[in-house]
This record gives sequence, structure tokens and C-alpha cells, in this order.
Amino acid sequence: MFTGTYVAQQLLNGVVLGSMYALLALGMTVVYGILRLINFAHGALVTVGAFTFFGIFVALGWPFSLALAAALLVGGVMGLLLDLVGYRKLRGGPEVSLLITSLGIYILLENFIKLLATPQPYAFRPPAFLTQLHNVSGVAFRTVDIFIVIVSVLIMVAFAVFVKRTKLGIAMRATAESVEAAQLVGINVNHVVAVAFVLGSAVAAVTGFMWGAKYGQIAYDMGFMAGVKAFVAIVIGGIGSIPGAMIGGFVLGLVETLAVGFLPPGFAEYRDAIVFTLLILVLLFKPTGIMGRKEAV
Amino acid sequence: MPLLEVERIHVYYGVIPALMDLSLTVDEGRVVALVGANGAGKSTTLKAIAGVLRPRSGRILFRDRDITRLGADRRVRMGIALVPEGRQIFSTLSVRENLLLGAYHRRDQEVKKDLEWIYSLFPILRERMHQVAGTMSGGEQQMLAFGRALMARPKLLLLDEPSLGLAPLVVREIYQVIERIRDASITIFLVEQNVNMAMHVANYMYVMEAGRLKMEGVPQEVMRDEDIKRAYLGG
Amino acid sequence: MRRWTSLPGGVKFLIGVGLLFLVLFVANSTLNRYVLHVIILIGIYSVATTSLNLTNGYTGLFSLGHAGFMAVGAYVATLLTFPVRLRIAYNLPLLPHFLGGPDYQWPFLPALIVGGLVAAVAALLVGAPVLRLRGHYLSVASLGFMVIITTLAKGLKDLTRGAAGIQAIPRYTDIWWVYAWLVVTIYVIWRLLNSSYGRAMLAIRESETAAQAQGIHPMRYKLLSFVIGAFFAGIAGGLYAHFARSIRPYEFSFYMTFHIVIMLIIGGAGTLLGPTVGAAIVVALKYVLKPVEEGLGIYGLVEIVYALMLIGVMLWRPEGIAGGVNPLRFLVARKGERR
Ligand SMILES: Nc1ncnc2c1ncn2[C@@H]1O[C@H](COP(=O)(O)OP(=O)(O)O)[C@@H](O)[C@H]1O
Ligand SMILES: [Mg+2]
Repeated sequence: MFTGTYVAQQLLNGVVLGSMYALLALGMTVVYGILRLINFAHGALVTVGAFTFFGIFVALGWPFSLALAAALLVGGVMGLLLDLVGYRKLRGGPEVSLLITSLGIYILLENFIKLLATPQPYAFRPPAFLTQLHNVSGVAFRTVDIFIVIVSVLIMVAFAVFVKRTKLGIAMRATAESVEAAQLVGINVNHVVAVAFVLGSAVAAVTGFMWGAKYGQIAYDMGFMAGVKAFVAIVIGGIGSIPGAMIGGFVLGLVETLAVGFLPPGFAEYRDAIVFTLLILVLLFKPTGIMGRKEAV
Repeated sequence: MPLLEVERIHVYYGVIPALMDLSLTVDEGRVVALVGANGAGKSTTLKAIAGVLRPRSGRILFRDRDITRLGADRRVRMGIALVPEGRQIFSTLSVRENLLLGAYHRRDQEVKKDLEWIYSLFPILRERMHQVAGTMSGGEQQMLAFGRALMARPKLLLLDEPSLGLAPLVVREIYQVIERIRDASITIFLVEQNVNMAMHVANYMYVMEAGRLKMEGVPQEVMRDEDIKRAYLGG
Repeated sequence: MRRWTSLPGGVKFLIGVGLLFLVLFVANSTLNRYVLHVIILIGIYSVATTSLNLTNGYTGLFSLGHAGFMAVGAYVATLLTFPVRLRIAYNLPLLPHFLGGPDYQWPFLPALIVGGLVAAVAALLVGAPVLRLRGHYLSVASLGFMVIITTLAKGLKDLTRGAAGIQAIPRYTDIWWVYAWLVVTIYVIWRLLNSSYGRAMLAIRESETAAQAQGIHPMRYKLLSFVIGAFFAGIAGGLYAHFARSIRPYEFSFYMTFHIVIMLIIGGAGTLLGPTVGAAIVVALKYVLKPVEEGLGIYGLVEIVYALMLIGVMLWRPEGIAGGVNPLRFLVARKGERR
């Protein structure tokens, strides 16, 4: 009933979706690791990135690389602003106030985009070279699929080198382990947090471009589920582990795609429900996820 | 000449007072000890000096500069390093990464040289260089915490109960290192419950009780006090 | 004033309820239908927000699934009260025998209560695995629960008519039903807070570890507050369905949860009457701003104002509005220092 090509096709789609989840989970887990904040606003950066690219590439007609760079830049600057204006004042207070504020920021950004761009979705046409169709022994894909996977892997490798080899990256891991101990060795924690927000947000904005290019449509509310699912990916991978977040992203992308691809057609609309059922099952049977350590209550 | 002056500080945890009207001085080149029962406020004092807690009132001067409002990271840069109670090493990082973070703020070329100095003070750390710090024994972790603090090239080293939870042999080793650090002309402010050990290295001694200073003087003098003897030497 | 504060709590509560119903009676006979509509909505949202307060304000958990529990209450109550002759026309199932049989439709009150109970059972099933873990997991898992519920409401077409939703629900809800339930909700939570259960919950909010050291078993109380909160959310959902007369899955979305969270935070989490104040402000503001939004064609204005209010309160007035307003203090439980 399911041919090898069909399976390969589904796997490819799962890996592409998983790459995007992994990128989002990466940015989110670094911030979570330090501030214990589930940053709902992270999803809004996906939307911001998609619309920035769209505005510059389609509306202004600038070249692809400039539009992508602009999305990256806008994402990074937004990340910095959110940290400075929204979160910095609340640090050291109850963790839940950070969570509530991030919800507020998400709603603010989403509706701001809705206000600027109107509520209707836009068709998102990436540049021609990305839409070219390929067919390798029956498995169909476009250049954009390969682009997404390769760029994601590059970003992840770059990030791994950053946290493993650079002084700032080591400081970031140290701060995630203990903010107080980090201060005591002379790390400026505000600085480290700002860097985490900037990097994560810039990557989220690029992911927004990928999302639009892959699915051909962008809308003011596209980022919410993506952001929440990225947190689900973090839980699956194991909270507190950077490789775990990435693995969780891929696992989630594959599970979601394969569930839709292999369950009877009527189940396609249960897609999001399947993801959250998986979350609850993981919390029930293996709350430390694939790679995580036990987190104190 | 005073290196550190704490002037009448009050520190609170929420609404609960932890330090009341505390004043003390640490002179340059000395080893000054602070002793007191569990919960007296010794760790709180060190944290206030290191900058992770802010006093509600009072001042802290370091080399005649008012540092009361500076963050902990700025104070490290000025030359104050704390070896915290319970060590607080970064357990998921390697030994070498821990040590390098000690020199986080330094831009000079001598970090490598200091790393060698630390390895000579604590040869075990060289062996364990690439090991994840959390997998080491308590004594090794304490040495790593010392090494990490020394990598900052501090002028004032704050030590919070360095002998806590360690075997007697290891405690001896730790105190030999404290003497070597003193000999390298680094000023030491030492918190201890192990008064016997503290007495031997300290030039001067403060005694705390319930958030307040109770007594001060040279160790032999302090120890002549009947109350203190009863409380700390069980005699 | 001193005499007032020295009255026993029960007497004050009764006087407050008497005054409330006097005001409602006057309002009901003088105000126009549009304003009464807003007043009823405020009441329904007050029930929802007050129940969320039990979980989020008093126990320090942060559930984001409240709209999911409201959806459960709304659908269950609707399926029980839906008129027999319309069931066939709308392709909705007739009741099985153990629920009264194909010729039977339920009266409002028992249907509401069963809706609340089913929501409470759902909370038990979700809460049991999740509440053992750090608070954050509850936020995401309860949000996930809401998504699962709305997806089911869309998917189980034989039961719910799917995305089309159910229309022509009998309009049982009126101002008396709503405010009577609000009084019940506030009363139950007030009594609960002043019992040993309530003291345990507050202890857990201050510090779970310290509570454990006093021999309090946090899991039990967290689950209890989550389940009772869900029960009243289910009631609010049932009230809503029989007021709006139609329900669709997407109404019980993230935005509904979000609005309830805003009402709670703006009014003051952890205060007894804060949720009602917050609900009144947020609902009223919507009716003021909606015409502006539509008139000027700036879609998203209302939500932007809500979001700014939420962020502003978090940054500059975390105790909320009722948290510091004196005239409302008479029933407000004293809070410890906010941590
Ligand atoms: N984080 C904290 N929150 C609240 N109270 C604290 C905290 N840390 C310490 N305390 C209290 O402050 C007092 C002094 O503690 P500490 O400075 O650790 O004492 P010591 O180091 O002398 O044993 C104690 O009563 C302790 O319970
Ligand atoms: Mg101590």
C-alpha cells in the first residue's frame, strides 16, 4: 500500500519541517536555559521575518540575498528590543511574569503585523531558482527543500562551534547552568542574555522566510503554532540540552509529517492534536525527554 | 592599609533581615577570618561584598572606591573573587572551560601563563583538564573553584567555608594552598566554621552572631573569650 | 468604616450579594438590551476569570487551557439541552438511554453542572501527569489540551457538527443565572481559601519546597485547584453557549484563553474580586473600541490595546488594578509579599 517512494517522500518532508522546528527550538532553548522563560514571542519573530522578506523582496523588488539579510537583521534587532524593553526589568522576579509578558508581546506583534498587512494571507513566491522541481527516482522536491535543510544544518553547526569554542559561547552555557555563579566569574549576564535573544530571534526570522518559501503562504498568525511546537520539540529532546532541542525538532517534524502521511486521510486535520498528544505522552512517560537531565521543580 | 571596608551595611532577604549594621575592614596582604554559627550571616556577608546581594543601606569600599552599586561582574574586574559555599563550579563544563571562565574579563596575554600556575598549584586539575567538572570528587571540585577564582587575578579572595564537607586530609591540602596564595600576596577574607583551621592562618578575626558582629581581634585574643571558646571549641 | 470591617465575613458577603442583586435588578429594568448584553458577558467572563484565578492566582500554576475547559462545558451542556425536534434537523445525535433516551432533553441547571463535571474530569486526566513537573510544563501542556479539544470539536462531526458549529441553542442564560453562578463561584473559592485547603494552596504558591517541609503534599492541592478551576470554566462555557446561542470550535481558541488571562492580570491575580474587575474593564473596553476598529478599518487595534495593557501592568503594576484599590478590599484575601 505504501511504496518505497512514498515513504521516502514523507521522510523528506518530515526532515524539512524538522529542520525548521530545530532552528526555532535552538533559539528558544538557549533563552529558556538562562531565564526559564517559555518565550511565546519567539513565534512572532517567525512572522516578522517572513513579512520582512516578503516586503523587501516582493514589494520593493530588492535582490534575494539583501532581503534575507534584512530579515536576519530585523529579527536580531527585534530580539534585542524585546529583551531590553520587555524582559530585562522582570528578571529576578517570579518566572511566571516573564511568561505572561511574552504572551503579551506575542499578541502585540501579531496584531501589529495584522494591522500593517491586513488579516488576509499572502501568497509567498520565493525566487525562481528555489522553486525548481527535481525528481530523484520518484521522490519529488524543490530546490527550496534542499536549501532549507542545508542552511539549517549550517546554522546548527555554526551554533555548535559558537557554544563549544568561543568564550562567549562557553559563558552562555555557564550562565544557563547558574546565573549567580556566572556573575561571580565576571560574566555580564545581561550581555549574555541579550546575545541569546539576538541570535535566537535572527534565526527565527530566517526560519520565517523558510516557512513561507516551503508552504507558499504567509499570514499574520503563522508564527504562533510554530513557536509553541518548537517548545514541544524542546521537551521531546530534553529540556536543558542544546543538542536535545535540535534532535527534538527533527523528531517532531518527522512524527507530525509521518502521522499525517500514514494515518487514514481523515486524520490529517488532527495534526496539531497529534503533536500535543505526543507532548503529554512524553511528559507522562519520559519527562526528561531524549537527552535532558532532571529539572528541579 | 585597608583594601576593603564594609560600613554599616544592612542586608535583607525580602522582608527578613540577614545582616544588621555590619562593619568590618580587611587590610591589604592579610588573612582575615570571619567565624560564626550556622545561619549567622557569613555567606550573606561575602555575597554582599562580591555583589550578588545588595545592601539596603550602608557602603562598601574597595581600594577607597565606593563599589556599593556595582554589579558582581564589575567587582570581579576590579579584583574581588569569591569561592562560593558549595563551590558552584559549572558542572556541565570541562575543567579547562571552568578555569578559562575565571579569566572571562581579562584581555591580557598572560591567561595561558596563569593557567600553568593553577596547574602547578593543583596538579590534579591538569590531569582532569578535559573532564566534565561535575564528575570530579568534592575535594577536586573545591580545588577547581579555587583555581577558577585565582584565574581572575584577584587582589582580594573571598573564601566561603572551603573545608566544608571535605575529608581531613583534603582539608589540610586546601589550607596549604591557602598559605601559598597568601604568600603570593593575595589578600584573603576567609569564612569558616572550622575555627581551629581558621585560627592558624588568620592575622585577624571577626565573630558574627545572628546577623551582627559580636567580637573582633587577633585570633589568640578572641579565643581567650570564654563565650567564644564554649561556642566554637566545644570546651 | 471601622464597624464595616469588624463585621464577620459571612455577613459582609451576604450584604455584598444583596447589593449586587439590587443593582442588577435596577439595571435590568432600566438599561437597554445592548448594555444588558454587555453586563451578562461581563458576568460570564467573571466566572471564567475567577475560576482561572484559583489555579493561576492562588496556587501559582499557570494554566493556558482555560478556553479548552470552557469548550468542554459548552459542548456537553449544549448536547444535553438541545431540543429534540431540532436534533434531527441539525443532524445532532439523540440522547442515549442512560442520559434520558431519544425523546428527552435536559433542563438547563443539571446540563450546566454535568458540563462542569466533564471539564473537571478532563482536568484530572491532564493535570495528573503534568502537575508533578515544573510549572512551565503545565502552561504548554494545558495549551496543548486546548488545541486537542478544539481539534476534536472540529473533527468529531457526528457529535459537534464540526467546524460549522452548533446553532439555535436555546437561550436559557440570563442576567440572574450568570450572576447567581458568579456568586457561587466566588463563594466556593472564598470558603476554600479560608479552609485548610486554601492555606495549603497559598503556602505552595509562596514556596513549594517550604510547603512540603510543613507536610503539605503539593500534588494533591495543585490538582484540586486545577480541577475546581476547570469545573467553573465548564460552567462558564455552558453559560456562554446558552447565551450566544451558537458555538463554533474556533471560538474556544488561544485568544479566548488569552483574554481571560488579561482579565485576571489586569484585575489582579490572587485577589477575590480582581477577576471581576478585570473582566468588566476588558469586556467594556472591547465594546468601546470595536466600533473604532471597524470604523477606521484598523484590524487588530483592540488586541494591541489589550496586549499593551497586559505588558504595562506586568512591568509597572504587577499586583493588578484591584490589588491596590481599597474599596474592594473587603473581601480580598490578604496576600503575602509578591515574589
Ligand atoms: N536565599 C535566602 N532567602 C532567605 N533567607 C536566606 C537566604 N539565604 C540565607 N538566608 C537566611 O539568612 C541568614 C544568614 O544566612 P547565611 O548568610 O547563609 O549564614 P551562614 O553562612 O553564616 O551560615 C539565615 O537565617 C538564613 O536562613
Ligand atoms: Mg554559609
